[in-house]
Amino acid sequence: MQCSVCSRQVRTQPLSSYCELHQKAYESLQKKFQIWKKASNIEWKNYLQDVARNPLTGIWAREVAENILSEEH
Amino acid sequence: MEKYTLIITEKPDAAQRIAEALDHKGKPERHEDRRVPYFKVDRDKPVVVVPALGHLYTIVQEHGKRSDYPVFNFKWAPRHQAEKKAKHTEAWIQVISKLAEGADKFIDACDYDIEGALIGYTILKHACGNKDQTATRMKYSTLTKEELEKSYTQQMPSLDFAMIEAGKTRHEIDWLYGINLSRALTTAAKRASGRYTTLSTGRVQGPTLKFLVTREHSINTFVPTPYWSIAAQIEIRGTNYPVDYQKRTLETKAAADTVVEACSGKTGVIKNIEQKTTQIPPPVPFDLGSLQSEAYSLFGYTPRRTGQIAEQLYLEALISYPRTSSQKLPAAINHKTILNGLNNEATYRTLTSELLQKESLKPREGLKEDPAHPAIHPTGNRPTRMLEEAERRIRDLIIRRFLAAFGDPATKQSIKATINVNGHVFYLRGRQILKEGWIKFYKPYLRSEEVLLPPVKEGETVKLAKISRVDRFTTPPPRYNPGSLLQRMEQEGIGTKATRADTIETLYKRRYIAEERMTVTDLGLDVTKVLHKHASSVISVKLTRDLEEKMEQIRENMEKRENVLAEAIERLKPVLAEMKQQEKTIGEALSEAIKKAQMQERIVGTCPTCHTGKLMIIFSRTTKKRFIGCTNYFQKTCKTSFPLPQRGTVKPIGRSCRACGWPLLFVHMAGRHAWNLCFNPACPKKEERRKRVAMQCLQPPGSNTTAEQLL
Repeated sequence: MQCSVCSRQVRTQPLSSYCELHQKAYESLQKKFQIWKKASNIEWKNYLQDVARNPLTGIWAREVAENILSEEH
Repeated sequence: MEKYTLIITEKPDAAQRIAEALDHKGKPERHEDRRVPYFKVDRDKPVVVVPALGHLYTIVQEHGKRSDYPVFNFKWAPRHQAEKKAKHTEAWIQVISKLAEGADKFIDACDYDIEGALIGYTILKHACGNKDQTATRMKYSTLTKEELEKSYTQQMPSLDFAMIEAGKTRHEIDWLYGINLSRALTTAAKRASGRYTTLSTGRVQGPTLKFLVTREHSINTFVPTPYWSIAAQIEIRGTNYPVDYQKRTLETKAAADTVVEACSGKTGVIKNIEQKTTQIPPPVPFDLGSLQSEAYSLFGYTPRRTGQIAEQLYLEALISYPRTSSQKLPAAINHKTILNGLNNEATYRTLTSELLQKESLKPREGLKEDPAHPAIHPTGNRPTRMLEEAERRIRDLIIRRFLAAFGDPATKQSIKATINVNGHVFYLRGRQILKEGWIKFYKPYLRSEEVLLPPVKEGETVKLAKISRVDRFTTPPPRYNPGSLLQRMEQEGIGTKATRADTIETLYKRRYIAEERMTVTDLGLDVTKVLHKHASSVISVKLTRDLEEKMEQIRENMEKRENVLAEAIERLKPVLAEMKQQEKTIGEALSEAIKKAQMQERIVGTCPTCHTGKLMIIFSRTTKKRFIGCTNYFQKTCKTSFPLPQRGTVKPIGRSCRACGWPLLFVHMAGRHAWNLCFNPACPKKEERRKRVAMQCLQPPGSNTTAEQLL
């Protein structure tokens, strides 16, 4: 099965919809959300929008954020 | 003819220097045989000096196919038999062998390091008929007349066999790792994609790429987090000075707003003033790694380029041997003579005369040592030609660093005033150099700003002139550049001072990394992933470091080459067996990235007509010809195309034409010099050339007609 973002194979153990690289980025997004929430009391969706817009965000993290937003939309 | 002493050097420039230094009149006879130069030296006993051309011998597979792996059989053979590009070295071996027939004494005068020891040894053994056992050794760190004369009259009685063994082991282990793992990757990729692509890895290359991949992961998965800080200024007698808030970062916006609100428009009281005077010792002299890092940070020269420039300066006897890891300047190099030499150059006279007036000259030294050579230092000789800009800069940097090492410590004064504003603490900081000391010698290369404060005293009231909240985000770790990667390799103890820069170049050549601020390509990521999964021990820094330590032990006669080789083979065997078994899986994992990389290699640049498509090198199946076309052709929106030479290799070089700004292509045809091609039909340079050719065709021989008259 292909990763939801790129053409790499998804991670199988544990099963994920992302490849190893994008899964790492997804985990980083989840982890950092706690800090954002504490700092600015932000919601998950707004957080993803802010992160996707931020030029300092890493390319894989941005791709995952955009992917989640497009799926939610 | 009377029998002579044959001296073998590593390179032609060194041969000429040695010959000039040993000849009674300083003018040896230069001869050439099949374009190989050698020198006849007039001395009490005749001497012939012949250069090598770096390594003339290399390791080859003893038997079996070129694509087979695992392969553990090897032998040392002439380079021209193993490498297509080394055909010219055949003549060098033949000339050295011929000269050896007339010699009754042999001296190895190659550079005194592992590579030099091996170059001299293989030539003496294979080209001179086992003369390695009777040859003597010249040891020197600079190519100055005095030192060369001394090293000739005080030769070492035999070759340094421990160093040779260490060199042989390094080459053999690197060959075993490189050939086997690279063949495993290349074979797997070919099996999956059906096309041949050179993939490589090795004992040093693997872990180096892993550093970059780890950093790439951190950067690409980075999520910035918000934090806040306070920007404030206080006013002292009509001038504003920046102050730091007690906490550099605040975790919430609300906390930052509270500080701004509490302090806005308020006055503060200077509670305390701390004054500290510190001494800054001079920098230590350069070893190769620190020179390469400094040159990269100051001038942007890649480590390899700096290494090459330093090598050239050494061959012209302007600096000492650069491939050293020493940070020591022993008295034996004669500090005073060097300073006296530099004193003849107007640029340095003021600085050197100050040092020469000192009662004693004692340089500051670093901890690193090298048994073979001192730290990089100038020889005191003046250049005999106009140096190129880059050479001049590197020489100046080395000279100033050498001078600085003899300077007194600099004295810096820092002041910190603590100001209380409505219960919040701010710091006013200033710094000033009280005594320049060594700084005056190294000034052009220092970036230090002084912050001068007006006189303030405790209890004084000051006004907070400005205060605001600054919204910030954390930043990702920086990308490696050639300088910082070299430093990391050095810190981790992988590779040697002589090979690190080349390892970095290989990563670029294999398309594993791109750009100066290093980005790992998909191919680099996938190769590392494959190696991590199937050959993790091979890319482990620990293994590489262990092997480096073992080789150092061989050099110190504490370990045997055979044991280290056997251990390395035993470690490789299971890894290669696993890779062979998983060949299909590995190939599939790599093929996608290879396709992408190959596609990338054909992209020339943005289309100058539609500005949205990419120009690409295309092979037409119908006409069997190659040309440049726009990728938007397939969407039927752009028909831009340009012709290309049909023979030889054509590839983009990532640089633009100076005349028109269009992308340049590299063209290489067999039997011709390679050239850079601008495919813009209207390039002003082409027009110029057309006119020049037209003029040459029209002008009859002996005619005085000018181009202007014709055109």
